[in-house]
Amino acid sequence: MPGVDHCLQEAMAIPGAVGASIVDYTTGFPVATTGAAPNSDHEAAAAGTADVVQAANSRSLFVSALPHDLLEDLIITTAGGYHLLRLVQTDFDSRLVLYVWLDRMLGNLAVARHRMQKLADDLVAG
Amino acid sequence: MTSSKTAAPGRLLAQVAGERQTGALVVGGHPGGAVYVLEGRVIYAESPAAPGVGELLTASGRLAGRTWQNALDRGTSGAQVGRLLVEQGHLTQGELELCVLGAIYDAAYFALSPADAPVEFLGGATHWLGPVVHVDPAAVAREVRRRARLLDDIFPDARVDTAIVSPIARPPRERISVTAPQWELLVHADGQRTPADLAFLLGKAGYATIQELRRLAAAGLLELPEVRGEAPEFVRLPRARGTAVDVRRPQVRPDDSPTVPVITGVRPAAPDPPAPTPAPSPALTEETSANGTVYRPPRLARRKPGAKLPKEVAGETPPAHPGTDEVLLKRIRTALRALR
Repeated sequence: MPGVDHCLQEAMAIPGAVGASIVDYTTGFPVATTGAAPNSDHEAAAAGTADVVQAANSRSLFVSALPHDLLEDLIITTAGGYHLLRLVQTDFDSRLVLYVWLDRMLGNLAVARHRMQKLADDLVAG
Repeated sequence: MTSSKTAAPGRLLAQVAGERQTGALVVGGHPGGAVYVLEGRVIYAESPAAPGVGELLTASGRLAGRTWQNALDRGTSGAQVGRLLVEQGHLTQGELELCVLGAIYDAAYFALSPADAPVEFLGGATHWLGPVVHVDPAAVAREVRRRARLLDDIFPDARVDTAIVSPIARPPRERISVTAPQWELLVHADGQRTPADLAFLLGKAGYATIQELRRLAAAGLLELPEVRGEAPEFVRLPRARGTAVDVRRPQVRPDDSPTVPVITGVRPAAPDPPAPTPAPSPALTEETSANGTVYRPPRLARRKPGAKLPKEVAGETPPAHPGTDEVLLKRIRTALRALR
């Protein structure tokens, strides 16, 4: 049965992944973490992740008025890495985002994005 | 082991965790709650202010009330409700874990944030959900403190967390913006619901509800409850006054030798012992006071058996409380569905 730990293991199997976590973006709390985090601080990374998602989500600046248009993922690029944030849509109330940190040289953005979509869906597939 | 005392719940949790105990840390007071530990790791937490796993899953429609009740019926005795739901294919393991994790941190905030509360540890107690996740108690305690700080950063007024939610009638500005969760709260705030009522009604985490309410308060969109100068005095008992109660205290003279055994030893300067209550007199309608006057309560008008109520009494309909009733009725409906 794929649980949270299994999901993070799979995320770490994405080429170039150096760290992964599941973050509650209302509180900025890392519900589950694995691997490395920027500046070796998962909690600070989670708080930053929450701020980014809140900014994109709460003001709905990028979500169009089309029905069912949802924020799906956010990608932050730095000189050394990619930071991918994928919203996990659960039927019950939760505000979770799957975060994966990729090495810039080893990682492939398209592959990672595709894999993360599948992971987030499998985690809660009813 | 059972110990009951008033203490910081967080400290007792740390102690229990350090000793790798199994049981339930029950926190009294308002709202109170319970944190379940298995060999020193937190496996569940619940609080009357935080919807539990069942409420989250059924209020959102993720599980039918009947499915949830079935799992409860079968799994409660063996403490494996969570495992049953996954094995029967109603939930994925991921969903269950995420839901339980959310519920733990949510309830822990309410149970563990008071600095001082009646706390009791029931050794050996287990939770019917069964162990789904294992959380480090230190991480829970740290997160509880962080969440309290977050709320105060938004709007440092804890009255918002418990007071009845009442949106202001007229917005303070020409243009206001609210998020979808805030909209839901405003629409369902009917002037009677508390934040906890709204959390249960909407199936949202209690902390997330409070967080949105503090944001609304910070934006000036909530009526704040009036400031009370001092702690409210709910019931003030009438003082015994001279003519109301017949008190005859024996005159104590220093040379009198005591006729009853006297407890010797250091005794704090205690107030006078309570006046001996007069023995109930056989005639309850009459009481003779100290000065000999007889008190007769006024006779109440009595209806004959079978007679109708007088019009002015019968005409009044009891006041309607649509809000509270709706919550209650929804819970009854869920329970009835489960029985079908």
